[in-house]
Amino acid sequence: MAAAELSETAHTELLDRCEEQFAQLEKLQNEIILSEPDLCENPQEQAVNRLIATEAELKQWLTMEPKLLAENSEILLQAGKEEMLKLCSELEMIVLCYEAKRDKLKETKELEEKWLDEKKQMLVTATHHVDRLQKEKEKLPEHSVLQDTKIKIQKMKVYQERLMECLGDILEKHVPLPQSETNKKKKNNPQEMNEDLISLNEILELLMNKVLNTPHDPYVTIDSTFWPPYIEMLLRYGIAIRHQENNFKIRLEPFY
Amino acid sequence: MSVLKPFSKLPGLKTATILLVEREEQFQQSLADALVEETGVTVNVRLAKSLPLPVENEESRPRIDLVVFIINLTSELSFQSAEASLKYLDAGYFLGKVCFMVTNARNTLVPTNRLDGVRKLAASLQCPLLFAEDQTPDGVSNATERLLAILKVAAGLVPMATALYLSNLTRCTVPPDIDQPSFD
Repeated sequence: MAAAELSETAHTELLDRCEEQFAQLEKLQNEIILSEPDLCENPQEQAVNRLIATEAELKQWLTMEPKLLAENSEILLQAGKEEMLKLCSELEMIVLCYEAKRDKLKETKELEEKWLDEKKQMLVTATHHVDRLQKEKEKLPEHSVLQDTKIKIQKMKVYQERLMECLGDILEKHVPLPQSETNKKKKNNPQEMNEDLISLNEILELLMNKVLNTPHDPYVTIDSTFWPPYIEMLLRYGIAIRHQENNFKIRLEPFY
Repeated sequence: MSVLKPFSKLPGLKTATILLVEREEQFQQSLADALVEETGVTVNVRLAKSLPLPVENEESRPRIDLVVFIINLTSELSFQSAEASLKYLDAGYFLGKVCFMVTNARNTLVPTNRLDGVRKLAASLQCPLLFAEDQTPDGVSNATERLLAILKVAAGLVPMATALYLSNLTRCTVPPDIDQPSFD
C-alpha cells in the first residue's frame, strides 16, 4: 500500500493492522507445525485429502463476513483507488476478449448461413427436377408402352408373313411340285405319288415350326408325303441334316 | 527422508517462491531469468534437478509456494525423474501447489503414450498441466506469464482466490477415450 500521502493516524492504524495480521499468521503457523502430518502417497487418499480441504475452505468462506478493511478513511480511499484501477484494466481485457469471441461467432454465423442458402437452392432445383419428371410420366400413359409393343409385334408378324409369301412364290416358281406333265428340273419319278406330295414350301414350314415349337425335339419324321429329291436337295445344301440314328428323321440346320 | 512441507515456514512479505524441477536443467534457466523480471511481486526462483533438495540449504530456504515439474517429452528419463521426485513432496503440496509443465509436445518423435502417461499422472494428482514451447523467447515469456498467474494465487497474493480453488478449476482431466488409438 502506498504510504505516501497518509497522515500520521492512518499510518499508525495501518501498522497496527499489519501487526495484528502477522500475529494471527504466526499463531496459525505454529498450529500447523504442531499438527500431525500424515504421509499419504496413495492417490485415493489424495482425493480424500482434497475433498476434506475443499470442504473446510468452503465452510470458512460461508462463515466469513465482509468487514471494513480499516477504520481510517484515507486508507480506505487509497485502497479503493488501487482496486478500482486494477478492476478497470481487468474489465477492459474481458471486453476485448468477448468482442473477439463475438466477431468469431459472427463469422461462423455468416458461413453457416451461406451454407444453408446453398443447400436451400439445391433443394429447390431438386424439387423442380422431380416435378418435371412427374409431369412427363403423367403425359406418357401406361398403355403406350404396351401399345407400342403390340404395334411392333404386329409389324413383325406382317413382315414374317410377307417373307413367307415371297418364299412360297419363289419356291413355286423354281422348285415346283413334280407334276405329271411338266417336270422341269427334277428327275422323272415313274412312281405316281403326286397327290400326297407336299411342296418344298410346306416341308420347310414344317421343319421351321417344329424347331420353334419344340426345341427339345426338332426332328421331323420323313414320310411318303415328302418327295425324296427335295429331301436330298435340302440335305446336300446343308439346310437340313439327318438324325444320327434314325435316317427317317431330319431337322433344320441352324445357319447364321 | 526429507519431505518438502508447504507450510513449515512463514511466508515473506509480498514475495513468492517457485521451485522449478527439471532433469535437463535447461528450460528452468530461461524461465528463471524471465520470472525474476516481474515487478509487482518479488519472485524467488529455486532451481533443482530433482527432489529431495539438499539438506544443507534447509534452513536458509524460504517457504516454497509452487513446485513446477518440467518434463521434456522427448526423453523417457525426464518423466521418470519427475515421477520419482513426487515422493519427496508432502501431500499438502498437491492441493494446488504443484504444477506440471511439458515441453516438446509437438515433436513428431514423441510416442503418444508418453503424453498420455503424463496426462494420467497429472489427472491422478489433480494438478494443472501446462504445455510450453522452450525454444523461442515468445514461448518462454508465455510460459512465464502462466506460471506467474498460478504462483501468485499459490502464494496467497490474489485476494479471494486460493490455490486449492484454482487447482480445482485448472486441474488436468483425462478424456475417457484416452486408451483408444487416435487417428493420426
